[in-house]
Amino acid sequence: MHPTPLQRALAEAPDTARAQAARPEEEFFIFTLGPLTMAVTSQHVREVTRLTQPTPLPRAPSFLVGVVGSRGQVLPVVDLLRFLQQGEAKVLGGARMFIGESSGLIVGFVADQVVGLRRIFVADKLPPPAGGLAASEFLSGLVQHRELGTLSLIDLPKVMHAARALVVRR
Amino acid sequence: MPDSSPTPPKKPKKSPPPAAPEVPAMVSADGAMTPLLASLNALSNGRLDARVDVAALTGEAAEAGRLVNLLMDRVESRVAESEVRKERTRVIVEQAIGGLDALVRQGELAAFEARTDDAVLSPLLDGFSKVIETLRTFVREINEAALRLSSSANEVLAASTQHESSSTEQAAAIHETTATMEELKHASAQIAENAGAVARVAEETLNSARSGRGAIAEFIQAMQQIRADGVAVSESITKLLRRVERIGTVVDVIDEIADRSDLLALNAALEGSRAGEAGKGFSIVAAEMRRLAENVLDSTKEIKNLITEIREATAAAATAADASRQATDAGERLGSVAASAVEGILSGVQETSDAARVINLATQQQRTATEQVVASMGEIEDVTRQTTQASKQATGAAAELTQLAGRLSELIKRFKAD
Repeated sequence: MHPTPLQRALAEAPDTARAQAARPEEEFFIFTLGPLTMAVTSQHVREVTRLTQPTPLPRAPSFLVGVVGSRGQVLPVVDLLRFLQQGEAKVLGGARMFIGESSGLIVGFVADQVVGLRRIFVADKLPPPAGGLAASEFLSGLVQHRELGTLSLIDLPKVMHAARALVVRR
Repeated sequence: MPDSSPTPPKKPKKSPPPAAPEVPAMVSADGAMTPLLASLNALSNGRLDARVDVAALTGEAAEAGRLVNLLMDRVESRVAESEVRKERTRVIVEQAIGGLDALVRQGELAAFEARTDDAVLSPLLDGFSKVIETLRTFVREINEAALRLSSSANEVLAASTQHESSSTEQAAAIHETTATMEELKHASAQIAENAGAVARVAEETLNSARSGRGAIAEFIQAMQQIRADGVAVSESITKLLRRVERIGTVVDVIDEIADRSDLLALNAALEGSRAGEAGKGFSIVAAEMRRLAENVLDSTKEIKNLITEIREATAAAATAADASRQATDAGERLGSVAASAVEGILSGVQETSDAARVINLATQQQRTATEQVVASMGEIEDVTRQTTQASKQATGAAAELTQLAGRLSELIKRFKAD
C-alpha cells in the first residue's frame, strides 16, 4: 500500500513550530528569469498565471512590456531584467506571469519558470553586494541555496513602488 | 643402145630364103652369065647394093641382069622403106621403153608419151597409155589419200596422246578426288559427332533455360508478393502514423491539463501560504500535487519525444517501403525482361537443337553418300586405269599408223603423176 501524496506530505512535514522557535525562517516564491534565479517573499505574490501576449503601451518605459487582462482587471506587466538593467526577458510559449500585490498596487511580472515556494532561514541571508549598482537598490540580499544555487532576493514592494513612480513621472 | 642389134639378125633371116635358091640357078649358065652370077653371088652374100653389069651381058642374060637390077632396086627401096619404118618404130619403142624405164626407175608417170600411126603398135601404146593413165590416177589418189592418212594419223596420234595424258591426269585427279572424298568422309564423321555434341549441349541448355524460366516465374511471383506486402506495410505505416498523431493530440490534452494542474497547485500553495499556520498542510498537499503535475509533464514530454521518434521512424519506414516498392517494380521489370530473354534463349536453343539434329542427320546421309561416292570413285579409277592403258595402246597404234602413213607417203612419192 502506497501512501497517498497527502499522507506522505504530512508525514514528511517538519514540526515548524519547534523549528521556527529554534531558527527563524521566511517563505519565498522562487522563479527563474533569464540567467537569474530570483526569490520574492510569498506574501506579496497573489497568483500565478500563464503569460498571455501583453498589449504594448505607447510611451511607456522599456521595463513595462504592456498590459494584460486578468480576472476582469487590466494589469501592467513588468520585465524585472530590464527593470534591474540585467538584460531583457524573452517572452516564449509556456512563460508564466506572477501577480505581485503590495499596499494596493497589483503588478504582473514575467517569469520563465516558477520553481515554487521555499522556506529559507533568515540567518542564511547574505547582504547584497556593495558597489552602487542600480540593481543592488532592489536586492534585499543573496542566498546560497544548495539545491537552486544563488538566489537573488528581490524587494518586490520597493520594485513595484519605484516602477509606479517611474511610470507616473512620465 | 642395145636396140640396134636385135633388129639386123631378123632381116637376113627373112631375105636369104628368096635369095639362096637364086644362086645355084645362075651357076649352071655358061661364061656369058658370069657377071650376072658374080652380082648374084654378091647379092646372096648380103651386098644388096651390088648390081649386075648389064653392059657386059647380052641376050637374055642382059634381060635377066636388068630384071635382077630392077628387082634389087625394088628390094633396096623396100629395104630402105622398111628401115625407115623400123627406125620410126624403134624411136617409138625407145620412147615407150624410156617412159617405162622412167616409170620403173624414177616412178615418173608423167613422162610417158608415145603415139604412133602404126596400126600394130597403136593399140599396144594406147593400152600402155591407158594403163599409165590409170596408174597416174591411182598414184594421184593414193598420194592424196596418203597425205590425208598421214595428217589424220598425226591427228589421231595427237588426239590419242592428248587422250592418254588427259586420261593420266584424270586418273590423278580421280585419285586426288578419292583422297579428298575420304577426307570429306572423315570430316563429315567429325561434323556428325560435333553436331551430336551440340545437340546434347543444346538439350542441356534447354533444360537449364526451362528451369531458369520456372525460377524467373517464381521470382516474379515473389516480387509481386513483396510488392503486395510492401503495400500492406505502407498502409499499416499510414495507419500507425494516424494513431500516433491521435496519441499526440491526446498527449497535448494531457499536457494542457497537467500545465493547468501545475498552475492550480502553485496557486493553491500560495493560498495555503497566505492562510498562515492553518494553511500549511494545504500548501504541502498543493506542492505535492504540483510535483505530480510536473511528473505528468515530464512523462508527456517523454511521450512527445517518443512520438517524434516514431514519426521519424515511420517516415523512414515509409521511405523504405517506397524504395522497396520501386525496387520490387524494378525487380519485376527485370524479371519480365529476364523472362523474355530466357524465352528468346529457349526458342534459340530449341532452334539450335533442331538444327544440330538436322545437321547430324544430314551429315550421316552425307557420310553414306560420300562412302558411295568413294566406292564409285574406285570404280571410276579402275575404268580410268583401263582407259589409260587403252589410250596408251591407242597411242602406240596411232604412232605406228603415223609411221605407216609416212612410209606410204614416202613410197607413193616415188611416183610422179604430174
